[in-house]
Amino acid sequence: MNPLQLLGGTLIALGTALSVLAAWGVLNFPSALSRMHAATKSASLGLALIGIGAGIAAGSWGLVGIGVLVTTFLFITAPISGHLVGRATYLAGRVTDLQHDDLADCVPSPLRIEAADTARKSPLRFIALVAVWVLLWRDLSIGVLLGGVLVALITEFAGRVPQRTYTFSASGLSLFLVRYIWLVVQSNLRVAWEVATPSNEQISEGIVAVPLETRSTAVALLVANAISYTPGTLTIELTGDPLVLYVHVLHFESVEQVRADVAKLERLAMRALPEFTGV
Amino acid sequence: MAGFITIIQVILAGAGMLALVRAIQGPTLADRIVAVDLVLLLLAGGVAAHAARSGSELLVPVLVVVALVAFASTVLVARFIEWRDGP
Repeated sequence: MNPLQLLGGTLIALGTALSVLAAWGVLNFPSALSRMHAATKSASLGLALIGIGAGIAAGSWGLVGIGVLVTTFLFITAPISGHLVGRATYLAGRVTDLQHDDLADCVPSPLRIEAADTARKSPLRFIALVAVWVLLWRDLSIGVLLGGVLVALITEFAGRVPQRTYTFSASGLSLFLVRYIWLVVQSNLRVAWEVATPSNEQISEGIVAVPLETRSTAVALLVANAISYTPGTLTIELTGDPLVLYVHVLHFESVEQVRADVAKLERLAMRALPEFTGV
Repeated sequence: MAGFITIIQVILAGAGMLALVRAIQGPTLADRIVAVDLVLLLLAGGVAAHAARSGSELLVPVLVVVALVAFASTVLVARFIEWRDGP
């Protein structure tokens, strides 16, 4: 048992514990949306820890790379699945027993993504594509690298990806990332707490409309994703023009408190993507 | 290490059973798809654990495929629910 195996084994054990929490929550939480909370928050971090832990324990950097790749993908997609399934459940009329419901009188208006002026070539995206290719092959030989460059070139020139350039602020983004990771940890502890204290009467759900300050859909999407990893909240709907986020809250106390929490995150997101802060 | 991984895989399988119970019970389609999605992720966890024991990377692409399929299927079913029960 060398130190790497010990570290990897610890991560695997932690990830397994989270996976069990997710399964327990999905089985025992009282309503469809509360079950979604457990699945979204715990399952993705669980698999992430198992994947990265397995790579470390096996001493294989290729496997760690795949773990990081899958983790990134999961953290982008899990809130989207939660949002889509949650909204579908709501529209199907399966969400009952809400203490507060702002979504009932919501006027649906589609999100308008800022139009791209031209299909821009982005060097950052090019490098990211090559990196994903190399990670998938788990091999940094000259052949794989050339193949990756070829595929990325074809994607860049053949694909008409509507591209808008965003200005990132490195310090803002890293601050947001630190906050994000802290939220993910907190929300998993919260799910663990909910599972450990199964008193269903305490769960009083609500859906709160949160008007966003920003005009940028990129900031709104960043906030919508992060909200799904905030303890006890899940993004259900996002309408454009003006941007309003509809958040499902597991323990509804007051509208103001939810709005204050979202506003705090929004300010961080606006600092990470500063181009659009000044309306 | 091998014994530890076997225990991990048994626990993951047990968690999968819990999720499957929810998938069978329902009561809504949304519950079922969330549960099946979770079963897929637990399966991917088992595959990753296997890679840690054997040191073989043969099954690792399965991780990527499972993550992709789990997402695509969830989106598909969500769209289906909206189409079936929507206005």
